[in-house]
Amino acid sequence: MDFELTEEQVAVKKSAVRFAQNELNDEMIERDRDGAFSRKLWLKCADFGVQGAAFPREYGGGDADILSTVLLMEGLGYGCKDSGLLFALNGQMWTVQMPILRFGSDGQKHGYLPKLCSGEWIGAHGMTEPNSGSDAFSLSTTAKLEGDYYILNGTKTFSTNAPVADVFMVFATVDKSKGFMGVTAFIVERGFPGFSVGKDIGKMGLRTAPMAELVLEDCRVPVENRLGKEGNGAAIFEDAIEWERSCILASLLGGMERQLERCIEYAKRRKQFGRPIGKYQSIANKIVDMQVRMETARLVLYKVACMKQAHGKATMDAAIAKLYLSESWIQSCLDAVQIHGGYGYTTEFELERDLRDSVASTLYSGTSEIQRNIIARLLGL
Amino acid sequence: MTVLEKIEKFLMAEVAVDLDKESLQPDEDLLGSGIIDSMTVIKLVLFLEETFGIEVKDEDLVPENFQNLNSMVEYVERNQGNR
Ligand SMILES: Cc1cc2nc3c(=O)[nH]c(=O)nc-3n(C[C@H](O)[C@H](O)[C@H](O)COP(=O)(O)OP(=O)(O)OC[C@H]3O[C@@H](n4cnc5c(N)ncnc54)[C@H](O)[C@@H]3O)c2cc1C
Repeated sequence: MDFELTEEQVAVKKSAVRFAQNELNDEMIERDRDGAFSRKLWLKCADFGVQGAAFPREYGGGDADILSTVLLMEGLGYGCKDSGLLFALNGQMWTVQMPILRFGSDGQKHGYLPKLCSGEWIGAHGMTEPNSGSDAFSLSTTAKLEGDYYILNGTKTFSTNAPVADVFMVFATVDKSKGFMGVTAFIVERGFPGFSVGKDIGKMGLRTAPMAELVLEDCRVPVENRLGKEGNGAAIFEDAIEWERSCILASLLGGMERQLERCIEYAKRRKQFGRPIGKYQSIANKIVDMQVRMETARLVLYKVACMKQAHGKATMDAAIAKLYLSESWIQSCLDAVQIHGGYGYTTEFELERDLRDSVASTLYSGTSEIQRNIIARLLGL
Repeated sequence: MTVLEKIEKFLMAEVAVDLDKESLQPDEDLLGSGIIDSMTVIKLVLFLEETFGIEVKDEDLVPENFQNLNSMVEYVERNQGNR
């Protein structure tokens, strides 16, 4: 076991921090207020190599190993104040690009990955439905084979990036009687007949990552746009979501480090009753707890990255990482507000936004309750 | 124990609390009935890999291979033959 990062890995994180600080933070308060997605920043990220980082060069990617990708996302999390943008990027990379890479035909990989890596296209993921969230595989969107096309019918909700996306990873059942093994994945393009994007869904945080419903009304999807075999959708979804659980969290870790440094600096500078507030044990302890949570979160996250690199799968550890990092992130955001007192509550201090953004982390990619259920089942309970 | 008996024993132990039965029929539908759900399959894959020394690929997680005990036995034997 080696806890040292290589020089190259350290350099990846540093350059991501520099890029994010210089390029991604303009007009953050306004963009959050207006719920504005920025295609300009999306393209800047693609030019920097974010979307392609973990993907092979033949598709325009950077061929990075998992730990380097995690460090890149961690660096962005530290440097970039726009958690919505990072969330949107992660969503595309792990739940659209990665399934195409891992399960796609040559035609699908060459057709979609270069456009997604270059930022020319944006991808969205459609699993959740109005009546199936945590119980994702009980979905009711259907796909019926008719000649060379599947006809899809149903509604998806909470689809991140949908309002601006060009391509959608949509899950539907080809045969309800096969339970979760009826679920099948389809690559749906915006222009396919019978496909439309519904109204934007307003939300508490991550406001720069747009979200909408997907409506499929006799939507015609060519057979060659089925991803993997019929009935393979659940395995494809689980694989993608495990990637997301492992890597989306890296940006949260970077955010925790940024907050911690800010809190230390503020606790040394802000004086009340004649002393810096950091000299009061209640404040110091909060900061110590932030540090302990961040360091343990880092170990859990890097372990998942190493396990996925070595074995491809890390179901239990990915669930632990998702649970621990998301709950730590929310706590860190709450602590940061508390340590900054009334100023922490103001828009100008930009800590309340982190807090609003953080609340979603125990919901998306499987709620905390579902992560606990997974861990319990794997423990034999 | 045969391959079939080993898998049946595993499934009975895994889901027995939720099932009001003593055994599974070889051609009994395990997917439509929900006896194998998306969580059970994760444990089932680990069990098949460890017990029979095979590799269960994600692309093999389709109804043809997991619909009932018979199809699982066929899948395991085909995989063992390919080693
Ligand atoms: C910001 C954001 C972005 C998202 N992006 C996408 C996306 O791009 N694509 C997509 O398909 N989906 C997306 N989702 C949807 C997300 O995956 C679901 O919200 C999530 O899976 C929970 O489903 P639900 O909202 O229907 O809640 P429900 O499943 O209805 O859960 C409600 C509550 O009950 C609890 N609960 C449910 N079942 C159990 C159980 N068995 N044991 C214990 N507790 C339980 C839950 O934990 C939760 O607290 C996104 C969600 C958010 C918040």
